[in-house]
Amino acid sequence: MRRLPVYFLLDTSGSMFGEPIQALNNALSGMVNTLRMDAQALDSLWLSIITFDRDVKELMPLTELVSFQLPEITCPQSGPTHTGSGLEFLHARVSADVRKGTPTQKGDWRPLLFIFTDGKPSDLQLYRSMIPKIKELNFAAIVGCAAGKAADNEMLRELADTVVHLDTADSATLKQFFKWVSDTIEQGNKSMGTTSQVVLPPPPQEVNLII
Amino acid sequence: MEKSFIRELFHAQQIDISNREQLFEAFVQEEENLHRVKQILKNQQFLMDTWQLKSRLADIQQQTVVIPNATVGKVYEARLDFQQLNWTDFAAFSITGLEAVGLQFDSTTSVISGTPTQNGDWRLKFSYRLQGEPEETALHEKLVALIVNPDPRSLWKNISSDNTAPFWREDNASASAVLGDKRLVVASRRGRSHANTGGFRDDDFAFRYFPDTGWTVLAVSDGAGSAPLAREGARMACAHIVEYFEQHFTNAALAPFDAVLAEHAANPSETTEKQLTRFVYEQLGKAAFTTHKKIAEFAHNQQVPVKDFHATLIFALLKKYPCGYVIMSFGVGDCPIGLLNKDLSAITLMNRLDVGAFGGGTRFITMPEIFKSDTFATRFGFKLVPDFSYLMLMTDGIYDPKFEVEANLEKVSAWKALLADLGGENKENAIVELDTYPPAVAQQLSGWMDFWSPGNHDDRTLMIIS
Repeated sequence: MRRLPVYFLLDTSGSMFGEPIQALNNALSGMVNTLRMDAQALDSLWLSIITFDRDVKELMPLTELVSFQLPEITCPQSGPTHTGSGLEFLHARVSADVRKGTPTQKGDWRPLLFIFTDGKPSDLQLYRSMIPKIKELNFAAIVGCAAGKAADNEMLRELADTVVHLDTADSATLKQFFKWVSDTIEQGNKSMGTTSQVVLPPPPQEVNLII
Repeated sequence: MEKSFIRELFHAQQIDISNREQLFEAFVQEEENLHRVKQILKNQQFLMDTWQLKSRLADIQQQTVVIPNATVGKVYEARLDFQQLNWTDFAAFSITGLEAVGLQFDSTTSVISGTPTQNGDWRLKFSYRLQGEPEETALHEKLVALIVNPDPRSLWKNISSDNTAPFWREDNASASAVLGDKRLVVASRRGRSHANTGGFRDDDFAFRYFPDTGWTVLAVSDGAGSAPLAREGARMACAHIVEYFEQHFTNAALAPFDAVLAEHAANPSETTEKQLTRFVYEQLGKAAFTTHKKIAEFAHNQQVPVKDFHATLIFALLKKYPCGYVIMSFGVGDCPIGLLNKDLSAITLMNRLDVGAFGGGTRFITMPEIFKSDTFATRFGFKLVPDFSYLMLMTDGIYDPKFEVEANLEKVSAWKALLADLGGENKENAIVELDTYPPAVAQQLSGWMDFWSPGNHDDRTLMIIS
């Protein structure tokens, strides 16, 4: 059976403390529940959640949706945003997890990556050096989400094919955003050429697409 | 005990008794004082015990308890390991909330089991009492999450495609025909993933038997899921191939080929083999390229990008000669053509599959680069065989669930398993009577093709010549 691997790389740096992290938890939970009701997703979707602040944590290794249980995402009250380290960790995981097609093994669908941040990388040099390596992994889509005023759209653009900006990281906005994420995931398991990108559904009103 | 307690108390309070030893001795012997100390010690013990209990209960409340997810309609069994949970101090335990889901808990084996009937994000109530707590104590409660996935089968919707949309194709199609001394049955079904969203069937097929020449042309195409007009791409690919051979495979045009073939059959040589290969390359290559050009031209006229029509294409030509059956083929994409010999002891794959490292990565007839590639010559097949049992053309909707991986296509056992499956060895008890070919054989194949295979919900097309 073909798997659709989807990675979430989530910023849990100090600035997310309080309402934003609560909103993120709620929105993710809503998204997983929505996906659980999708026939295609229930059959093929595998999810992984990786968080980054000062440290990088694999909160949930790549797990099939059927067995997936959303862990509580927490964050420290302050500290740096090690986006680069997050990408470095992600690179290792994707390289190890994602199955390529061979005559004796069914290849996975091309993986999707969603990266969510409310700031900018504190480890800029590592961040920039990881970008080409992440792109080599041949994701079907890399979607960046910059939430709040301090989030750096331009920095995210260097990595992601699509960048969306949320004015605030409140519950309603995040919920809309992750609804759109689940729509995007549902687009992910369709046959396409070897390098063409996934066509993303139009984002909802609360989500500003950065062109 | 009591004496040392009082001594320590006085010492802690800096009450000096060093010159009153005798008085102290008498003091600690007094019944009432002894009683007071006992009372204090007892109260202390009570405070400590109560604290320990409260702290233990808090631990249990905070403890993360993970119960594996269940799925509606699927037998479920999960054991609560009291050792591992560190719950060996439980004196009483029960679970409420399982009945609503369709599960039960067996307290002697600590196993939750049953077949869930209701999906949802449930909260189970664990009620318990710890050892040492009086029996009349109200049970403590802890909520534990249990996720019950819906039955994936119940989620698939069957929404008809919009028959007023441009290039609409009926959701299911099937046909059977006689081709000289061979018979053909074919069916094409819209996949559940498309039915679920009211999408179109993107697979297509076409075939034609030309009685004048004895040739049959067979074509199967799979439109790319990501291409909005793939259904029309697939239809055009098949239709143009049939049309090409209708025009070009005339008796006159084929006379030189027939002569070389006769020579090859009587006295095969490197020269005759080369001539035959060149013929296949030129004729089938031209047919493929003409088809490509016609789709590109159509896309241009419609002012839509040609990639909107992306479709794979396999086709074969078949004719019975006195020396045996000639089968020629061409393929682009990930759909196999298999030729099973007469006694089912060998399988010949007529084409090389374009399978990418990732699912869905393939090549299409609509891509101009395939005609320029060095590997273009490897897309052709030619066989001259005395006879054969089955020739099959299929899309990945059949190949993925029935063969799973490319390597299995080369195993004759996998093809035999497919034949047995078609003969009724399947959960649905669907039978395709390939031996007797009743009038309903096409319907039978279409019905068989509705099989359930988790994760495999693509359009399905299978063409069988036997």
